[in-house]
Amino acid sequence: MTTATVDSHVVDRLRGIVGEDGVLTDKASLFNRARVPAPFPVHRWDEYLPDVVVLPRTAQQVSAVVKLANEYRIPVVPRAGGTGLADGAVPLRGGILVDLKRMDQIHEIDLVNNTVTVGPGINLETLNRSLKQHGVMYPDDPASYAVALVGGRIGTSGLSLLGARYGHPRDLVISFEIVLPTGEIIQVGDGGGRKVRKSSTGYHLKQLFMGHQGTLGIVTEATLELVPRAEAEFAAFFLFDDFDKAYRTFAKIGKSGIATLGGVMLFDPEKVDYLRRDDEAYIVQPKWVKSVCAAALYGTRPEVEAASKMLMELGRSLGGRYIGDEIAPWDWAARHDRYANPLHGRDANGQVLPMSWHCEDAAVPYSEVPAVLRKWHEITARYMEKYELFDDWGCFAYSNGAHKPWGDLLLEIDLGLWEEKLDEEGWQAFVSLKREIAQTVLDHGGSITACHGSTRTGDAELVPIEMGASWEVMKLLKRTLDPNNIMNPGKQCLDEAYQGGV
Amino acid sequence: MTTADHTERKNTVDLAMPKPLDEVEQAFVDKWHENAYGCFSSGHKFCREVCPVTQVTRNENHTPTAFHANVVAMEKGHLNIEDVADDYVHCTQCGACELRCPNTLMVGDFYRARTETVKVVRAARAMLVDKGLDREKWKQWNRLTDELKNEPVLGVDDGSQPNGQAYVRNWAEGLDIPIGGETIMFVDCEAAFYRTSLPRAIAQILQKAGYEFGLMNEQWCCGGPAAEMGYVEQSMRFARHNIDDWRASGVKRIIAIEPHDYVHFTEDYPAYFGDEFDFEVIQIVDLVAELIRQGRLKLTVPIDRVVTYHDPCRLNKRKGIHEAPREILRAIPGLTFKDVDRVTQWAYCSGGGGGLPIEKPEITAEISRRRLEKAAELEVDTLVSACVWSERPLSAAGEEAGIEVKDLMEMVAESAGIEIGGRTRA
Ligand SMILES: Cc1cc2nc3c(=O)[nH]c(=O)nc-3n(C[C@H](O)[C@H](O)[C@H](O)COP(=O)(O)OP(=O)(O)OC[C@H]3O[C@@H](n4cnc5c(N)ncnc54)[C@H](O)[C@@H]3O)c2cc1C
Ligand code: SF4
Repeated sequence: MTTATVDSHVVDRLRGIVGEDGVLTDKASLFNRARVPAPFPVHRWDEYLPDVVVLPRTAQQVSAVVKLANEYRIPVVPRAGGTGLADGAVPLRGGILVDLKRMDQIHEIDLVNNTVTVGPGINLETLNRSLKQHGVMYPDDPASYAVALVGGRIGTSGLSLLGARYGHPRDLVISFEIVLPTGEIIQVGDGGGRKVRKSSTGYHLKQLFMGHQGTLGIVTEATLELVPRAEAEFAAFFLFDDFDKAYRTFAKIGKSGIATLGGVMLFDPEKVDYLRRDDEAYIVQPKWVKSVCAAALYGTRPEVEAASKMLMELGRSLGGRYIGDEIAPWDWAARHDRYANPLHGRDANGQVLPMSWHCEDAAVPYSEVPAVLRKWHEITARYMEKYELFDDWGCFAYSNGAHKPWGDLLLEIDLGLWEEKLDEEGWQAFVSLKREIAQTVLDHGGSITACHGSTRTGDAELVPIEMGASWEVMKLLKRTLDPNNIMNPGKQCLDEAYQGGV
Repeated sequence: MTTADHTERKNTVDLAMPKPLDEVEQAFVDKWHENAYGCFSSGHKFCREVCPVTQVTRNENHTPTAFHANVVAMEKGHLNIEDVADDYVHCTQCGACELRCPNTLMVGDFYRARTETVKVVRAARAMLVDKGLDREKWKQWNRLTDELKNEPVLGVDDGSQPNGQAYVRNWAEGLDIPIGGETIMFVDCEAAFYRTSLPRAIAQILQKAGYEFGLMNEQWCCGGPAAEMGYVEQSMRFARHNIDDWRASGVKRIIAIEPHDYVHFTEDYPAYFGDEFDFEVIQIVDLVAELIRQGRLKLTVPIDRVVTYHDPCRLNKRKGIHEAPREILRAIPGLTFKDVDRVTQWAYCSGGGGGLPIEKPEITAEISRRRLEKAAELEVDTLVSACVWSERPLSAAGEEAGIEVKDLMEMVAESAGIEIGGRTRA
């Protein structure tokens, strides 16, 4: 196990690599990099501190830091925006936290081949502000658009709300440069070419190095897809008096063949209930509203105009009521901020409590969605009854496949957690609640995470089960590429790869 | 089963428990607990990329998220104020983070709730002063301000600069402005001693429009910068002097020609003095827009420039004044005005506020450099601001970028045919 100490000699060598102002050892720097927005065992904050933080500016510096860490067997944790919801950027064994925010340059805008090459520390919205003048955009659009950085999008292989139209990071990142756990710098893509989207050469290493949550190296530069800025955008929300109609409408829209479809979304009755009872920004809808289905279109004006008529017909075909022009465009425009601010929930007696938001995600086949939702709410209710710590804030579903808004869905349950009241028992209850939710997904042929990652306790234990026989291959790859288990150790049960010693 | 979150590590950093919180720290933590927790429980960092300081340092310690998390960490006994002293220096108090926070954007309208980051920063700085942990350059700056009764804007090294009370009205030479009266123009220190073209432009605009006003009898610094750097007692003392002076000469109305003063007069003074503070405070931009609208001020001299407008943080982000300056610019004949909307400008700043240029001049310079880079993309020859404190760092960056920096009121005066006089730099 990598538990080597970071002594003053190591810190001096780090200073030699990244310079005086690139090495932080003070307490505040460590405490402020020990957590991400997901619920956190505040009572054990000091267990998650890195030993030292480095802020590199070049791939060569990252490589030198990793080589040093490998020499001394010191854990290395990459951190981009620190907004990941699966604790990927939270150190479990201390070590060197490589904070990538200073690598935020745009290296090249290539309008001939429609690519942009950037450092991993640049934010998606910031990037698009610079691209706007050229009439193009990088269409990765998570709810965390204003905060997520390119490095973290690759590290998590996240989901874009416009994925049905433009694809997700796995499709939008064309190639990248990555520092391996032993310090070598390599370039990975579909084949070799930095700006080639499709190749048949060699193994497709790009996907291996996406979504590994910093367990296989550190991305130092990425070449991304540029698409024309959409000339027109149209969003519609439809209200339903029961879940089943909304659920079936989701499929009708998803399978319609509309090519400009950016994404389809669904709110279950518990979500609508929660918004009604505790969401300050909720615009009151009639009592009969139990479920919501929404969709958005992006494209050229003639395409979107024609498709919007189809969308309105489909949305209404099973009894959906259009929410109205006063709300639809705004609610869609606020998709990045709108659901990020729940500040309170309730206990079983309806008493208002200050609560933090936890969002548990999964990928689930369409056919299994109703059963999984039912079980998720049952599990949550059980924990709510036993512990006055949790609240059920309902679920939503989103089209999952890139360019294929049918078949499987991203399913999320939002939970309220009274974090301030947590003690070890409460925390373990939360972990076990999460684990039951994830297990349900496996029981229904799904995957325990569609975008956040499986690096969090409660999910991590189930990774070997989900991977089945391929888990052996995964461990072999990890051990081969990271012989000393220095990259983000302790995550995803990957320590198992070293049973019997490194 | 080993749960993945149980760590088997020994800390190699010295985590020696900090000293228990003293009374001052405890009061700080108690006061800001709820506000801090609203952020800690979200922690989503929507504020990060609009923060002008974080854009430059890319250091998570300097984010609003950290400013709030530190409160929780102090409460839990992990940190003392000493540990975060330098972090709280990294803020221009521009207020962008508060606006960008979804907790303000989405909940704010309904419950008037707002994530209050600027106040937390100020309270933390006040605590540093109370505990004698204040930064050296701020200490010196505020000591000199206390001695001179005005800020040492011409430099802190040499005592012989024309600064302080003896020189506070030199800028007005030849303008024949009375002392006292119902309405006075409050001239802040940077304008009175450094960019004297600004108060001269404004005084002559008002004279030309036939708007009656006087100058203050004994004008001390407004006390705002002291409050921003944590010197609360000094700030209150200066404020007391000023309102006593106003009262003694029958003043009813104050024209704030500078956005920081405007914030200070409309937020801090009422907080210091409660109902006793019954003065009307007018921002010069609002007043001049009104004079133009009424036809009392005619802008007739064309100005052949291509300009963009810099929304001063305290006008746009702190006080919501963004329409009037644009209206004024559109009223100037001959100008080509390339506007950038006010929301985009939440992420812009000059770096000139919150005492940052005194302690961290290199960060201020870089913030201004980036602001000018944005202006250069628009292919303008002039960047117009409406905040004299922004104009010094912006001008320095403008020189590099080949873009001139002007104050909105200087443009107005020019277009009204006024020979301004004074100077734009020391
Ligand atoms: C309000 C809110 C809404 C969200 N909505 C979405 C959403 O719609 N879709 C979605 O997919 N996610 C969403 N997320 C989760 C989160 O924003 C994403 O997971 C995002 O990709 C994380 O990016 P980051 O820059 O913050 O990465 P971090 O949190 O810093 O890192 C994430 C992981 O990537 C690794 N990593 C970071 N940089 C590198 C690198 N250069 N090389 C290798 N590994 C690296 C880290 O070690 C970590 O394991 C949301 C989060 C919030 C707070
Ligand atoms: S200040 Fe607001 S936007 Fe920033 S992290 Fe806190 S809650 Fe989120």
